[in-house]
Amino acid sequence: MTNIQIILNTILSKNIFEYLLIDRDLKVVNTSVGVLKYMENVPYEGDDVLMHMPEFLGFEEKLKEVFEKKDFTYTFKTIQKNGYYMNISLDHYNHDIALVLLQNITKMTQAQQQLLQYSNETTLLYHALQKIIDAQNSLLFVTNSDDRIEFANQTFLHYFHAENLDEIKAKALKLYPYVNKNIKSYNELHKHIRGSEINLNIGNDTFIMQSTAIEETHRLFTLSRVTDIYEKKKSLEAEVEVDALTSVYRKKYFDLRLEQLLKEENNFALIVVDIDDFKAVNDNYGHTVGDDVLKEFAFLLKKNIRQDDLIARWGGEEFLLVLKMDDLQRAMDRTETLRKMLDEHTFKHIGHLTASFGLAWRGQCDCDDANSLLQRADKALYKAKNNGKNRVILKKLEKRGENCIV
Amino acid sequence: MIRKKILLIGDFNVGKTSLIRRYVDNTFDDRYLTTIGVKISKKKILLNDEECELLIWDLEGATPQKSIPKTYYGGASGAILVGDVSRFETIKNLDEHMEVFKQINPNGSYVIAYNKSDLLKLDQIKSLQNIENVFLTSAKNDINVEKMFIALAKEIFND
Ligand SMILES: Nc1nc2c(ncn2[C@@H]2O[C@H](COP(=O)(O)OP(=O)(O)OP(=O)(O)O)[C@@H](O)[C@H]2O)c(=O)[nH]1
Ligand SMILES: [Mg+2]
Repeated sequence: MTNIQIILNTILSKNIFEYLLIDRDLKVVNTSVGVLKYMENVPYEGDDVLMHMPEFLGFEEKLKEVFEKKDFTYTFKTIQKNGYYMNISLDHYNHDIALVLLQNITKMTQAQQQLLQYSNETTLLYHALQKIIDAQNSLLFVTNSDDRIEFANQTFLHYFHAENLDEIKAKALKLYPYVNKNIKSYNELHKHIRGSEINLNIGNDTFIMQSTAIEETHRLFTLSRVTDIYEKKKSLEAEVEVDALTSVYRKKYFDLRLEQLLKEENNFALIVVDIDDFKAVNDNYGHTVGDDVLKEFAFLLKKNIRQDDLIARWGGEEFLLVLKMDDLQRAMDRTETLRKMLDEHTFKHIGHLTASFGLAWRGQCDCDDANSLLQRADKALYKAKNNGKNRVILKKLEKRGENCIV
Repeated sequence: MIRKKILLIGDFNVGKTSLIRRYVDNTFDDRYLTTIGVKISKKKILLNDEECELLIWDLEGATPQKSIPKTYYGGASGAILVGDVSRFETIKNLDEHMEVFKQINPNGSYVIAYNKSDLLKLDQIKSLQNIENVFLTSAKNDINVEKMFIALAKEIFND
């Protein structure tokens, strides 16, 4: 007994090791004083070792082997106990006594823990970024110094019918010939794009391609499908800017376009159209028929103007037109043709219907803005209604001295 | 008193430590402090009017660089295999963890925890319910945690 304690005490003086001695019945025989700091309860002689060292549960057979085999040693690594980290080893001393050695590795393990923490968090971040990259609509890929694709996102894999990245790597996919036959590498392609963007056609798809350098060696290429963007934009536009009932533009969009037209040096007529006696249609036939009439009316107007003319609904039974014409007389003639067309048309449900037209000509005067044009057209419409409806009236821009009067 | 060793096994960051803290101390922490090595917690339970003690081993998680040291597995009566529903690969890896556990403890019982179920939408929860041996748990919101530990204990003690 004394021998082993002398040996042990020398090691223990370094404050790294503590020990328990146990007998064949797995009872505590003796302990170092310092062992206390690792334990929940003070270990007394005769205590069941499992009480203090639950780590040994399930290893009872191994514990018994240690008394038989001379060179036996068994180690549990990195056990956290009472706020300390330790390695616990079990060594043969003689047939009656085994040595449980607790090696304090707290400092070293805390450093390892910090490294592991950093590594795990980095892995999580990498996974999160990967998810974000995969969720992009654009095709992304990265090339390396060997001019090969090293990474590609899910959208890219999907577009080129690849199950995984390895397939793409194996294919040694080359996209630069699609851009220009003279480009012989991704690196050249990167130089070719040089910070701006180019169009790239693959099959029926058009992409906008951009390139970014990552470090000296890698290049990130992004391909955004133009067809996608274009179609999305169109359907969004349609949803936001078109009147649900009549499928012509809403006033808000018409205003935007009108502002644009005014900036350009075009001649055009702005016309307000109002269906005559529309209230009677609603009163006599009901609102469902009224809605049908509005639809048919808008459809007829739209069909009889040109593509780059404009039509919008201005609430109720009132519509707005822009007819692009070189001179006023021809604009008047065309408007008259529209009036006549409606007058002669047989509408579903109700048969005959007429409309009144108020026209304003876009004058070359500084003060002739969208507002004044609309006001003139509206005044003209008022006059047309008062003069017996079913007619086209023009309201001219009055010029008195330097000031324009609407 | 009967004492049994049970393990929590799974990839890193799936919530093994959190499940134990919820079960043993009824607490939860949003912060992530990775486990290195192993830490043992004790929990006394009553099963069929008999007091038993679970020695719950919180193992360090498997990472892409390093698997769980097999020396920890020995002598275990049961295991909770933990995956994180928000990271599909951690669920996929459960088969592998289970095989290692069964290889070392052929008679061991196990249950599976799909943890962080609080992050799922209702229809996703429905699609994952009723898979044999699987508990949709949340250490955060205290869902199915105790139920799962008790189910495992019952299986162990009935054997
Ligand atoms: N939303 C949510 N988060 C959870 C849940 N359980 C754990 N977490 C969080 O997930 C992170 C990891 O939890 P831990 O319990 O440390 O995970 P672990 O499996 O022990 O991780 P390692 O020790 O590294 O293997 C922590 O930030 C927890 O707060 C849960 O049920 N729901
Ligand atoms: Mg942990």
